[in-house]
Amino acid sequence: MNCEAIGELLPDYLQGRLSPELAREVEEHLTGCPMCGEEAALWKNLALLPEEQPSPALQTRFKAMLESYQEGRWEKSSLAAEKQKTPTPMLWGLGNWRRMPVAGVAWACVFLICGFFIGRNSGVTKPSPDSDARITQMQSELAATRQLVALSMLQQQSASQRLEGVSWSTRLQQPDPKVLDALFHTLRFDNSVDVRLASLDALSRYAGRPEVRSELVNALQAKQSPLVQIALIDLLVDMHDQNAMPQLKRFQQDPKIDPNVRKHVDWGIDQLN
Amino acid sequence: MSDEELMAQVRSGVGEMLGVLFERYHVPLFNFYRKMSGDRAVSEDLVQEVFFRILKYRHSYRVDTPFRAWMYQIARNARLDYFRKHRAEVSWEPEMSPMIAPVDTAQQSQEAVLLHAALMRISEDKREVLVLSRFQDLKYEEIAQLLGCEVNTVKTRVHRALQELRQVFHQLESGKPPGRKGSEGAWPNPGSVQ
Repeated sequence: MNCEAIGELLPDYLQGRLSPELAREVEEHLTGCPMCGEEAALWKNLALLPEEQPSPALQTRFKAMLESYQEGRWEKSSLAAEKQKTPTPMLWGLGNWRRMPVAGVAWACVFLICGFFIGRNSGVTKPSPDSDARITQMQSELAATRQLVALSMLQQQSASQRLEGVSWSTRLQQPDPKVLDALFHTLRFDNSVDVRLASLDALSRYAGRPEVRSELVNALQAKQSPLVQIALIDLLVDMHDQNAMPQLKRFQQDPKIDPNVRKHVDWGIDQLN
Repeated sequence: MSDEELMAQVRSGVGEMLGVLFERYHVPLFNFYRKMSGDRAVSEDLVQEVFFRILKYRHSYRVDTPFRAWMYQIARNARLDYFRKHRAEVSWEPEMSPMIAPVDTAQQSQEAVLLHAALMRISEDKREVLVLSRFQDLKYEEIAQLLGCEVNTVKTRVHRALQELRQVFHQLESGKPPGRKGSEGAWPNPGSVQ
């Protein structure tokens, strides 16, 4: 048998799929022909290449993927990814207001304002005796909607949405006690320092109210971020409220506060004196 | 339980059965990519991609058809997609990934290093049939189905791959600068089909 014929049989021989007779013939050729013999040897020697192990990270990643699939998040995330392919930026949140109540409330607000202006500018109706009453009623509804938006946005996961919530609250002329509570809660407990500072800024607008003032004085705590502490001290000094003095002094004595904040509180107490 | 039974369960939504298939195949798939492309991190990414696609396209698996052929089809496509996407940044050089040689004897390890370098230098289509038949233990029929060609074409390609491997191996062994990947070298080749 020549090399050409062997070449056709070699692959089957290497996988052990030849009849014993043919296999014997191939073997005879291989011992006599160095070229073909080498090729068969190379095939065998490929076994020298070690089987490698992937890093444990691969297993971890696979498990994470499988878990997300089993919890049903996988389907949802892939669905979400598909939806993103057809963006509708102008109508953000309009279609799925049921899933995004904040967007729903925001849209309700937009429509209410539009309706209000269309109605006012149409000029068809003469000023009727009860139109003023209706406008007042609409305004109070608008205020209620704004409150609702502010409240629900303050509870959002993302810091930027909470910031937006804080800015909504500043559009209220007469803040509801609920909104004030939410703002104070944000001032004390929000994860983001920026949101806390923004809520302090919003609260400073209502510093004329005694209940807000006393809450602001109490908000000066050692556990706060130094940035918020300094902003609060500035605000208390601006308010010229002598009732803040005991709290400032107590705060000054706290061993845990930052040295820079301590300097600032010293300055604040001087100012108030 | 057979691969096909497991995959049928995955298809009908029993996700944890994919874990069993992962245990069986993640190492072979990793080695397939390692020997085809070299880079460890890329190989791991691709293995993850294969199992992701198995889950994503589970409904396209036809029950009672060979699972392995289907899986390697996905594996090949994942690799082709990857290199299509990253063609510009990934031009793999064998030197980038020195092989960890087995520690039997000095001579054996030397041979393994040379063999690996030679394997990486032969043309890709030939390397693929060698890797699939030698390391992944796929039958020629399965490979033919996978590549969409005749069984005899696969066998011819295996033989040609061994010829090319031998040439490149000799070039490396004699310390000559190896020729370009896939080029028919300067070495005489009396064993080839003329």
